[in-house]
Amino acid sequence: MRGQVSRKTIFGFIGPAVIGLAAVGIAPLLYAVWTSLHFYNLTKLKRVEFIGLDNYWTVLTDEVFWQAMGRTFFLLGTALPLQIAFGLGIALALHQPGLTLLKTLCRLSLVLPMATTYAVVGLLGQVMFNQKFGVVNQLLGGADINWIGDPENAFTMIIFWDVWQWTPFVALVLLAGLTMVPGEVEEAARLETKSKWTVLRYVQLPFLLPGLVAVLILRTADTLKLFDMVFTLTRGGPGSSTEFISLMIQRVGFRGFDQGLASAQAIILLIITIILAQIYIRVFYKEV
Amino acid sequence: MKMLRNLVCSAALAGFVATGAMADGHGWNLKDAAAPYAGTTVDVVFLLRPGYEAIEAMLPKFEEETGIKINIIKHPYENALGEQVRDFVAGGDLDIALIDLVWIGNFAENDWIVPVDRIKADYPDIIDPDLDMDDFFPLVLNAFGGWNDTIYGLPFDNYSGLMFYNKKMLADAGFDGPPKTWDELMNVYGPALTKDGKYAYALQSKRNETQSADSFARMLWPFGGSFLDEKFRSNLMSVESQTGLKFRQELMKYMPDGIVAYDHAETVNAFSQGDVAMITEWSAFYSTVVDPKTSKVAADVGIAPEPMGPAGRKPALGGFSLAVAEQADEKEKAAAWLFIQWATSKANAGEYLKRGGVPARQSAYADPALAETYTFIPALVESWKDGVPEFRPRFAEWPEITEIVQEWGTKMMLGEVTTEEGAKEIGTRMESVLDAAGYYSGKKPLAQ
Repeated sequence: MRGQVSRKTIFGFIGPAVIGLAAVGIAPLLYAVWTSLHFYNLTKLKRVEFIGLDNYWTVLTDEVFWQAMGRTFFLLGTALPLQIAFGLGIALALHQPGLTLLKTLCRLSLVLPMATTYAVVGLLGQVMFNQKFGVVNQLLGGADINWIGDPENAFTMIIFWDVWQWTPFVALVLLAGLTMVPGEVEEAARLETKSKWTVLRYVQLPFLLPGLVAVLILRTADTLKLFDMVFTLTRGGPGSSTEFISLMIQRVGFRGFDQGLASAQAIILLIITIILAQIYIRVFYKEV
Repeated sequence: MKMLRNLVCSAALAGFVATGAMADGHGWNLKDAAAPYAGTTVDVVFLLRPGYEAIEAMLPKFEEETGIKINIIKHPYENALGEQVRDFVAGGDLDIALIDLVWIGNFAENDWIVPVDRIKADYPDIIDPDLDMDDFFPLVLNAFGGWNDTIYGLPFDNYSGLMFYNKKMLADAGFDGPPKTWDELMNVYGPALTKDGKYAYALQSKRNETQSADSFARMLWPFGGSFLDEKFRSNLMSVESQTGLKFRQELMKYMPDGIVAYDHAETVNAFSQGDVAMITEWSAFYSTVVDPKTSKVAADVGIAPEPMGPAGRKPALGGFSLAVAEQADEKEKAAAWLFIQWATSKANAGEYLKRGGVPARQSAYADPALAETYTFIPALVESWKDGVPEFRPRFAEWPEITEIVQEWGTKMMLGEVTTEEGAKEIGTRMESVLDAAGYYSGKKPLAQ
């Protein structure tokens, strides 16, 4: 039929991407589901057997799993508001007219923390927060704070690094949102009121919401799978104080070698992530 | 008479020639034995520790003589087990298994490693007549390389827990030697040496194998405790185990803050910087603490066996053996064995020692003059006589159990749970793992 693209052409364009996605995304996921339904320990492969939902039951009734999950959400609940607050502040500052060169330099420097490899951030933290030789204690007037060996301090340190690394991302996303506000609308609003809050709430915020939803979804997913930085910095310790859910899954799957149980944990985490993403989209987009 | 003398001389000459041939191992030498395998590449995992650097420095001689290439893949200890397990499960490239004593049951039960007797039977031409298995310290050979009465690996990187002490700090506090008992360490040395920002003692306790092996287990055995009883049930609630665990809690007041974040590096560093007067560490760190480049207290280091508890010394025992991997092909198996045999040989033990390694050959320590140069030798030899092979259980379930011990052992140290609560939790979880493995149903023998 004239004007209609043939199936062959559609498949030719989309097919490779779909096949690639299936190979690197769907197939491993299906394999993880299969593994989660089996007793599958790498050091006991002679005993692989189908055990139905036993692994899921073990995970759901495991106090340690929920403690790790609680810790992860506590991190999300503390770090994310800080990132949004600081990010919004930076975005609004950079949205002001004038000082073009300085603003360009600021925007460029914002990329640096994001461009730093997670694991390197953790290693940097080990040096900077060293109780005896670390620069952080030196900056605090030669304080003798035990950052890495104390449970509360170690958690605070993780929050600090997460905020340091991801505030720039939030700032750049929100800055992009601010540039979407039509100049004449913003100018008219400023003529109507002197209150910056009113302008932000009623003029700028609607344009920021799509970016904020993206930030919420991406940062939630990132926090739920936060691994490298914490692994190199505290390895989940001291005790379990910084053992977030992804570290726990890694521990079970690659140090205890129980791939079946680790797969069940990962699938449950995936389900929680999807539910959260749906909630974000429904609640916030509804407001938009 | 002259004829008789000639006869005796001829007989003696013939005897000498014959004995000489015997002494030469029936003409055996490494170069000829390795000739069929020249050009073979052998893949092995090494750790980032002094003993491995020592053998790496000696390696060019082996490669030149045999034509066998040794491809070393370096990993920190924490990654070494995972990397090897994944390689063996996937049928990867590793031709040699590097086995910590607690991995041996796991590797043997999965048929990932080849028993030494099978190598001897399959490749008689490559067995060095001077292999002399009896020359290895029996405890070390059986614990590091043996499982269920079968020897798989030859001891390569060998440790015993030793006490390293700062002679000057102890002398300044009025002591003329290290504590003989744990009780003395805490009640006499502890208060006297913990002052002015310095600490009497540091016990590496980071939440990894260090927590379970170096910290938790170290306080069980000297006090008469253990992980398991004879029936493989948890023994952690016994009076003896609890005494040891409570002792550890009390001893923490003489240790630096945040000791639960101290791994080997931090502990050795604290000692080397002169911040801590005594540590109980692996013999492998000897070369680090006596080297002025890495230690401020190099001239003041004293070494003694670990202190004794009510149940005796029972010091920490740890170390690695090398075994031929089952997944290697025929040529690689032979080449791998030649390397293992060479690296652990009597002939190379002296040089290995000089370069910072710790051989497990009794003959290497026979010379009394060596003890003057390497001051850790007397304490090490004594420790290997008093060691417990089951210092940590060596069965296949240890990787799961150590994770439980690490988690709850650290919680105890942080005061998040009492020693009783922690021990109960570890016991319940440990027994659950052992039950699932079939120890209680009789499917698996109660083997250590």
